[in-house]
Amino acid sequence: MPIEALLFVLLVVLALAIAHMRDLFAAAMLFSIFSLLSAGMFTLMDAVDVAFTEAAVGAGISTVLILGTLALTSNEERNGPFRLTPLLVCLGLGATLIYGTRDLPVYGDPGAVVHHHVAPEYIEGSHNIHIPNVVTTVLASYRGYDTFGETTVVFTAGLGVLLLLGGAARRRDPEEEAAPQATSEVTS
Amino acid sequence: MDPAAILALVIDALSWAFLMGGAFFCVVSAVGMLRMPDFYTRCHAAGLGDTMGVALIFIGLGLQADGDLMVLIKLAFTWAFIWITGPIATHALVKAAYARGFAIEDNTPTAGAAHAD
Amino acid sequence: MFAVCMVGLLITMVLAMVRAIAGPTVFDRILAANAFGTQTVLMIAVSGFLAGRPEWLDLALVYALMNFIGVIAVLKFVRFGNLASDQPGRPT
Repeated sequence: MPIEALLFVLLVVLALAIAHMRDLFAAAMLFSIFSLLSAGMFTLMDAVDVAFTEAAVGAGISTVLILGTLALTSNEERNGPFRLTPLLVCLGLGATLIYGTRDLPVYGDPGAVVHHHVAPEYIEGSHNIHIPNVVTTVLASYRGYDTFGETTVVFTAGLGVLLLLGGAARRRDPEEEAAPQATSEVTS
Repeated sequence: MDPAAILALVIDALSWAFLMGGAFFCVVSAVGMLRMPDFYTRCHAAGLGDTMGVALIFIGLGLQADGDLMVLIKLAFTWAFIWITGPIATHALVKAAYARGFAIEDNTPTAGAAHAD
Repeated sequence: MFAVCMVGLLITMVLAMVRAIAGPTVFDRILAANAFGTQTVLMIAVSGFLAGRPEWLDLALVYALMNFIGVIAVLKFVRFGNLASDQPGRPT
């Protein structure tokens, strides 16, 4: 499809721009655009759940995490000496991945192995127990216990984050208290 | 022609008009974002696509929903959400830029006005 | 008609991306990223109708939420220097 081809070109241009960029904050912003682009492409390729994850993790969480890292370090990329080993590792990894795609079935191939394993059974079963969305059937019925465990983990993680954030807001840092620009603004 | 065909024709024409208008507003806002001289005017241009472009495109899509209630509700929710959050995001952006000491007339950050709330 | 609308949205995305790469200031990039996010929401909604799958609107709704939260988090970082405090700190 021409739309996907255009999005691919945009992705490559964006990746080159990110590699060229020295301002790390700008690179973080471009990374969030990169994630949105690839999420849009996943949607067009009908991989809606992957697109969902890409948008949540790529554009949402990792941008925030990168910004948190930038708050602790510098905003500018330092120009170090040219190193050969990382370049070779990257090229080797890329070549391996491209070599691996040669074994993949063609996009949209109905004869692909993955479509003939348990998927037809799940689709049939989904029809029989009257849940319109097959992904929901798999997650909530066929893998119910698994999903229950995942939900527990997510709930615990959320509780932990809430505890951490709440604690940080109430307890004031003594160093910040001493800093001159902070004291004039204390209201709570 | 029977009335149903005429109705379908009218609805199609209306959604053409709305979708084209929305796409036009989006492109105009992007051109403005590219061509405007400084940051605040670019914000103004971006706001155009956030409100008018989104509204027209969603009305156009809603006309093509064939009266499917669930689709209409989702469209309305998305539209309302973007209409509320788009201007809020732009406002927060301009406020943050102003607090960081961006002068209104030109684009140069002024050191003295930094963090003036 | 959805295809023509889609072309307009793609042109908008390209232009917003040019602004995000060109900068020149931090806020221009945030503005461009925000506009790009809105365009992605619109693109997914329109492409759902284009493919005859209006269910993709769920996705558009979640993207709109995500985009807003992302922009607010980024702005908080730019304004206060970190994500947890509510007081202006050192500029970054």
